[in-house]
Amino acid sequence: MTKLADIATVRDTLLARLEKLDTKSDILKAPELKQLYGAIRDVEPSQRAAFGQAVNELGNEIREKVASYSEQEVSLAPIDVTAPFDVNSELPGLLPSENGSMHPLRQEIDKLSNIFERIGFRIEESREIDDQEHMFETLNFPKGHPARDDYDTFMTIETDRDGDQFIAPAHTSTMQNRMLKKYRAGLKNDEAIAVVVPDRVFRNEDLDARHEHTFYQFEGIYVSKGVHAGMLVATLQQFLQEYYQKELEVRVNPFYFPFTEPSFEFALSCPFCDKKGCRVCSHEGWIELLGCGMIHPNVLKAAGIDPAVYTGFAWGGGVDRLVMMKYGIEDVRHFHSAKLDFLRQF
Amino acid sequence: MKVSLNTVKQFTKVDLPIDELVAKINGQLGGVEEITNLGERYEGAVIAKVLTCKKHPNADKLSVCEIDAGEAKPVQVVCGAPNVRAGIYVVWLRPGSTVPASFGDAEPFVLGSRELRGVMSNGMLASPKELGLGDSHEGILELDPDEQTQVNSVIKPGAQFATTYYLDDTIITIENKMFTHRPDCFGVLGVAREIAGIQHQAFRSPDWYRNLPSFESGDGLELTVKNEAPKVVPRFMAAVIKDVVVKPSPVWLQAELVRLGGKPINNVVDVTNYVMLLTGQPLHAYDYDQLRGKKLGARIAKEGETVDLLNGKSYTLTTDDIVIVDGDGPVGLGGVMGGAASEVSVLTKNVVLECANFDMYAIRKMSMRHGLFTDAVTRFNKGQSPLQNDYVLALAMQLIGDVAGGELASQVFDAHGAKSIQAPRSVTVNTSFINDRLGLGLSTKEVRTLLENVEFVVDVSKQTNLTVSAPFWRTDIELPEDVVEEIGRLYGYDRLPRELPKRTMSPMSRSARIRLKDKIRRSLSVSGANEVLTYSFVHERVLKGAGQNPADAFRIANALSPDLQYYRLSLLPSLLDKVHANVKNGFDEFALFEIGKGHHKQNMDKYNLPVETELVEMIYSAKRPQPGAAYYKAQRVLQKLLDDLSIDASLVPIEKRFDYAGITPFELSRSAFIKTTDGIVLGVVGELRTSVRKHFKLPDYSAAVTLDIEALETVSATTISSYQPLSRYPSVSQDLSLKVSAAVWFSDLRATLDKALQETSDIKVSYLPLSIYAGDDAHRTFTFRLSATSNTSTLTDAEMSGILESVTRAATKAHGAVKV
Repeated sequence: MTKLADIATVRDTLLARLEKLDTKSDILKAPELKQLYGAIRDVEPSQRAAFGQAVNELGNEIREKVASYSEQEVSLAPIDVTAPFDVNSELPGLLPSENGSMHPLRQEIDKLSNIFERIGFRIEESREIDDQEHMFETLNFPKGHPARDDYDTFMTIETDRDGDQFIAPAHTSTMQNRMLKKYRAGLKNDEAIAVVVPDRVFRNEDLDARHEHTFYQFEGIYVSKGVHAGMLVATLQQFLQEYYQKELEVRVNPFYFPFTEPSFEFALSCPFCDKKGCRVCSHEGWIELLGCGMIHPNVLKAAGIDPAVYTGFAWGGGVDRLVMMKYGIEDVRHFHSAKLDFLRQF
Repeated sequence: MKVSLNTVKQFTKVDLPIDELVAKINGQLGGVEEITNLGERYEGAVIAKVLTCKKHPNADKLSVCEIDAGEAKPVQVVCGAPNVRAGIYVVWLRPGSTVPASFGDAEPFVLGSRELRGVMSNGMLASPKELGLGDSHEGILELDPDEQTQVNSVIKPGAQFATTYYLDDTIITIENKMFTHRPDCFGVLGVAREIAGIQHQAFRSPDWYRNLPSFESGDGLELTVKNEAPKVVPRFMAAVIKDVVVKPSPVWLQAELVRLGGKPINNVVDVTNYVMLLTGQPLHAYDYDQLRGKKLGARIAKEGETVDLLNGKSYTLTTDDIVIVDGDGPVGLGGVMGGAASEVSVLTKNVVLECANFDMYAIRKMSMRHGLFTDAVTRFNKGQSPLQNDYVLALAMQLIGDVAGGELASQVFDAHGAKSIQAPRSVTVNTSFINDRLGLGLSTKEVRTLLENVEFVVDVSKQTNLTVSAPFWRTDIELPEDVVEEIGRLYGYDRLPRELPKRTMSPMSRSARIRLKDKIRRSLSVSGANEVLTYSFVHERVLKGAGQNPADAFRIANALSPDLQYYRLSLLPSLLDKVHANVKNGFDEFALFEIGKGHHKQNMDKYNLPVETELVEMIYSAKRPQPGAAYYKAQRVLQKLLDDLSIDASLVPIEKRFDYAGITPFELSRSAFIKTTDGIVLGVVGELRTSVRKHFKLPDYSAAVTLDIEALETVSATTISSYQPLSRYPSVSQDLSLKVSAAVWFSDLRATLDKALQETSDIKVSYLPLSIYAGDDAHRTFTFRLSATSNTSTLTDAEMSGILESVTRAATKAHGAVKV
């Protein structure tokens, strides 16, 4: 006949075994515990309720013990987190300053930003998740437009209020509409809209030494009265000469973007070999650097700017490429690798 | 887009040397990706006549031929082709030449003179495949000496094969991307027109593309044509041609196809491909006798319907697909690919020629959904003009007659879509509008000439107003700005005046947020930490490893790699993921930090866009433990950062679970909130839970910091400098040791000290903790160095003692401190 006393014996056995077990939850499968549960129906009806309750209590106790083991995860001794250093210790030093570094891409963005600020552009930042209205619609890419194929965009499962998937912007132009709206009031006072947006963008591509799905672009926007395509070329030339600290030749080739008309691909004479041909320019003497063009009237209209009165230009260039060319970095994947032997060289 | 220079020259004059022409195309038409000299692969390919052909004495399948290759004496060649015989015209590859199909290979096949089973063979007689003309390798290529070639050269022994068939060509490959809005440039005719335009030459389309054909009706074969998808099929033309003879195309057509990047198949299919490569308009030919019910038409597919295509695969369709159907069901995927059953083969006697127009968006979607990227898709998804179908169909019918015989056996069907087909709208633009946007001073006459060169129709009124009517093949001219582009490009962008914008001046200040981030970056790197950039997307296991819930994160629907499943909630997990590799790589002690953004599904802004939470986070790790807990190492770097940002914040123990984003990886007993006096939580500094350290294989000696940048910005904006004027009197220092119960926090004692020292009026007292001694578990002894300075006099010992006493008194009263 099973008695309440048996329960106490089983409890002692199980708790002792639990201490030694590697996988604490195995104790819940102990045959002794099963036997106790099985024995409930054999107990005399008058004592059955009390017995059953006692067995349940033991079961719960064991389960809680197991749960507390997994929660504890070897808790560390508490410390006085308000103190500046530990007991019987002293104020720790900082890490050696010469080991510290700023990311080369961020350093370059800072450099670009400084140049553009000096020639009168405001620096703004972009988003990492945006809606299709900003990435496509306001940029004159209607739904179903074939040029959307050129951007292998990451999309989320979640959707915006129009039921469209959110996207990881594939270009910093996703900020163009917002920037035009933010600064359009100044146009009436003859203040040009002049903004540069350097930030992170994404393309859903397989990784290799030359392709990254995450990279940095710098977008430029300039709108005022009487702006013509020659000014676009001159402004970018001015920037690049300042950036490379030398006289450079530049050229534009026609291109197609839905958000500019006309559109160009912009190239500069190789600053590393002065057009003689080198590894950086693939012995072409020229480097194709960025896409640009006159802002499409539909893009200006979408931002409430009258394209009959105001015209402007925009460009988008890659920061990673500039940095890779500058230092001769052989693999674009290093940038996001967080490898200290890479980072500490900058 | 492959452009044959010889084909271009059939339509327009090109005077420039090739490098100048390429530079001009680059500058005014589109990026040139590749220039191929086709002619050099045919060097040594000579037309010859077989004079005699005898069985090889030692080999059943070989023949010994004497050929006339235009040389003084006949040449002896051994040939294994079954169709070799005396009297035929062939292509002879002379010794020393390379087999054209192997040209450019890693190991090109170079011919010689050598004995084949005891008989000398000089070079070889070539098959179509060896000449790069299609796949046929059953026999040698036979030339028809009476065939008309485009250059009207005579097919005679000794003539160069390449020159005779125009294969002495240069192929210029132009980036397709440039022509996204130019469907006409997906035909060489269109590119030729542009090449004329950028050379400032007037272009005139060939007659077959200028004069609208009037179709006769034939009879003999019944066909019903129906367009049941008028919304997405603006035009569907078809005609039946009977009694064709399907065979290999004449060599001139094969050569033409090869130069344009096509591949010869048979004469009927070759004509459809050739005409497409010429005009950009895809066509399709069906075997009439394989069409069930003598019907052909276009309709929207039924859900679940299947179609077997030319590539041998079967596709299941949806109601977003356009299908071409006969009387029984689908025979092709409209505008994408033809069907297997109705393919034109050597057995075909009668063909139906289809020349249709499909909605570009519908084609794009179909192509993406089924993963089919054909030449037809490349052209239809740019939006071909439905106005060119008559011209193109007429040309294709004529060419089929020329190369395959046959005659029209039905009417020419023309099933229009829902909308009547409109000629391109004309655009009105003023010369000054164009000049303003290009910075040029062109005259109206110059503008007009540039446009007329590429067959625009221009009407001038009031001297400078131009009404510009685009030709029927142009679908991209809708706005005055489109005319600006046309003028700029044809005139030459390299000739635009380069002048900087003239503008008002105003200072360009950087936003407070960007400046703050710059400061953080500088402070942390000076503290010896390394800035990293890691991906905005993470694998599920990275989230889970840091105790975060993937259900809170935005999920990427189409990532190519599982490492990019979710938008990250915070940066720290990504940083933790980068520690182990660096430790393994020999770095014993380091700190990684990143400035970036986290996104949480429940956190949306007023535009219903995800809120972007900007964070700066840092992980400190050392392979070998150092004196004191790792927590204090991270806290030290944090303290310097807060000082550099002039932020006054204190560290507050985390007594219980607290709902703060980013707290999940932290070990609460060794973590603190970074809190301002106003109670704003800036972030957390602390060590990490054992499970987190285990998951990311972190050294035990690790600690992390997370800070919310927006909160930092709010606080740093209000903090002013804490400069203290220098005193003329020396300061006096003395150490004070206070023993208190271990339950007293350092911060409690400090608060008491601060309060007591505030009461010392004109004497400024600062203090530094020197040591914390724990002799037993119950007590701690804090030693401070107090430095006192007066602005009015040199401090006496008595004054200093008084300060120490009042401090001690306060500490004793508040915490039962004992001076030791």
